[in-house]
Amino acid sequence: MSGVGPVEPGEGTRARDTGSGSPPVPGSSRARLAALYTRHRRAVLAGAAAAVLLAGGGYLYATREQEPDPPRVVPSQLVRVTYLGAEHTPPSAPARSFSFAVQLTARPGPAVTVTRISQPYAAVSLSSAPRPPFPAKVGFAHKIVITMHVTNCSQVPGNAGLPFLDVTLRNKFAIQNHSFLLGDRYAQDVSEAVRGLCVNAIKSSPKP
Amino acid sequence: MPGKGLIVRQRSLIAITAALAAGALTLTACGSRDEGGSGGSDNGGGTTVVIGVDAPLTGDLTALGLGIKNSVDLAVKTANKDKYVDGVTFEIQALDDQGQPSSGQQNATKLVADEKVLGVVGPLNSSVAESMQKVFDDAKLVEVSPANTNPALTQGPDWQTKKERVYDSYFRTATTDAIQGPFAAQYVYNDAKKKKVFVIDDKKTYGAGLASTFTAEFKELGGEVAGTEHVNPDTKDFSAVVTKIKNSDADVVYYGGEYPVAGPLSKQIKKAGKDIPLVGGDGIYSADFIKLAGTEGTGDLATSVGAPVEDLPSAKEFVANYEAEGYKEAYEAYGGYSYDSAWAIIEAVKKVVEDNDGKLPDDARAKVTEAMQNVSFDGVTGKVSFDEFGDATNKQLTVYSVEGGQWKPVKSGTYTG
Repeated sequence: MSGVGPVEPGEGTRARDTGSGSPPVPGSSRARLAALYTRHRRAVLAGAAAAVLLAGGGYLYATREQEPDPPRVVPSQLVRVTYLGAEHTPPSAPARSFSFAVQLTARPGPAVTVTRISQPYAAVSLSSAPRPPFPAKVGFAHKIVITMHVTNCSQVPGNAGLPFLDVTLRNKFAIQNHSFLLGDRYAQDVSEAVRGLCVNAIKSSPKP
Repeated sequence: MPGKGLIVRQRSLIAITAALAAGALTLTACGSRDEGGSGGSDNGGGTTVVIGVDAPLTGDLTALGLGIKNSVDLAVKTANKDKYVDGVTFEIQALDDQGQPSSGQQNATKLVADEKVLGVVGPLNSSVAESMQKVFDDAKLVEVSPANTNPALTQGPDWQTKKERVYDSYFRTATTDAIQGPFAAQYVYNDAKKKKVFVIDDKKTYGAGLASTFTAEFKELGGEVAGTEHVNPDTKDFSAVVTKIKNSDADVVYYGGEYPVAGPLSKQIKKAGKDIPLVGGDGIYSADFIKLAGTEGTGDLATSVGAPVEDLPSAKEFVANYEAEGYKEAYEAYGGYSYDSAWAIIEAVKKVVEDNDGKLPDDARAKVTEAMQNVSFDGVTGKVSFDEFGDATNKQLTVYSVEGGQWKPVKSGTYTG
């Protein structure tokens, strides 16, 4: 056969149809859908393209390379407290009080809040300025003035070598009551202050 | 049938593939003749540096000693894998001192005689260190201990009144009993609320020293000493001491010494009917203490150097790498400190090589010792650096309690004085 060209679909015939080889019956749901498609072909094609884009974009977003979770760093590893020295005791402090200052610094990491400052001797009460809770700001040297009030001279150590300052620290990974051992100068200043305040009632003898 | 253009593309592809294959084969043939790794004395033009290890690899304290050795091995493997120091391959040479000063001294002499040794990690025992320090110092061979805690080793014999460094070649990554003893006393008196202690020690440098610093602080706090005794660490029958403890009004026992004695001692005290905790230092902080004490050890306490592993991301990485390496023995109390001690030597060697046009100078040992003073890096145990005495600047301590057959951290502290 030659010169005839491709066979054109004649009246009543259609191009290949995935559903069936025969045209839709007028009035059927298929016929209504087909008519709808014909009338709104552009909108349908645009909608289908948008759906494909959305689906593809959603897939890419869900499978994107995620930033690794930040390492678990507990607050005690981010905060450092060092002894600055004796301070004037506030006039509002009760009798038999002494004050000193410490410096609190924080390294970069999960944000830390100081929630409590305390010390372990039963015969001493402690207050501080600022009062917790307060955030431990990174790159900022917090000066904290601690005032200790001796409530019972006969029960307070007069010469302890390693008194603790207990600081409760919180970040998103842990709440820790961490002890800071502020060193010889702190220990000596505390001992001197206590001996000065409790001249007649100290339990232990001074160090040689 | 494919078009002409397609045939041309196929031929080009074959040609390119053949060229690449030929090139890859050529490169493989020219690869290094000798893998080197952590063994061998000739690694194709590079230098071998040996890091010595001295620790009790056999005997009662083997659990701690092998943890030290394995951790140094891990550091050396890591440095070699990462080619951390250009042109240098590290090896370790581990010698057993069995916890004996005389063996330690012999090992020190042997390590000094090997020119390839540029640094030593160890020993475990303070008494052994006393016999080794001068031998190393005379040879200007740097020594970094991960575990010695007696203060005199860095601060001199009169450290309580006048600190004076005796050996410039001696450093340590662990903190000292000048802090550990009082730290324990403060916890026992204030937190555990024990007021009457029976103090026992093994008469050795570490144990007696630690018991002494503990007792001094405990008394300053208002605590009372209900009795004192010494034990011979070679015996395992403590019935005489146990009887004295039982007849005392002590509410706690403090033991200065190591776990081979502390474990059975704790067990015998409880079995005699005196249900009071035994407290010790880093020398008892071992899984073997718990095995030896049995269920009677529940509630016993130990202080140890460093923060708990779970608080340090760097320590967790060390733990994972240690496990991946497949060592049979646990890293124990000094694993992290041993890794950091070895890494400090590696850092010092790196500095010396970089300052000497990429090679080791003739006076390498002296230069490495000098460089150690300024070493500073973020290690497994936190920041690693040394003060003017050779002591670690990072001083952290933890109290652990035996709970459910394991050591659990109950209190941590940081010394910032």
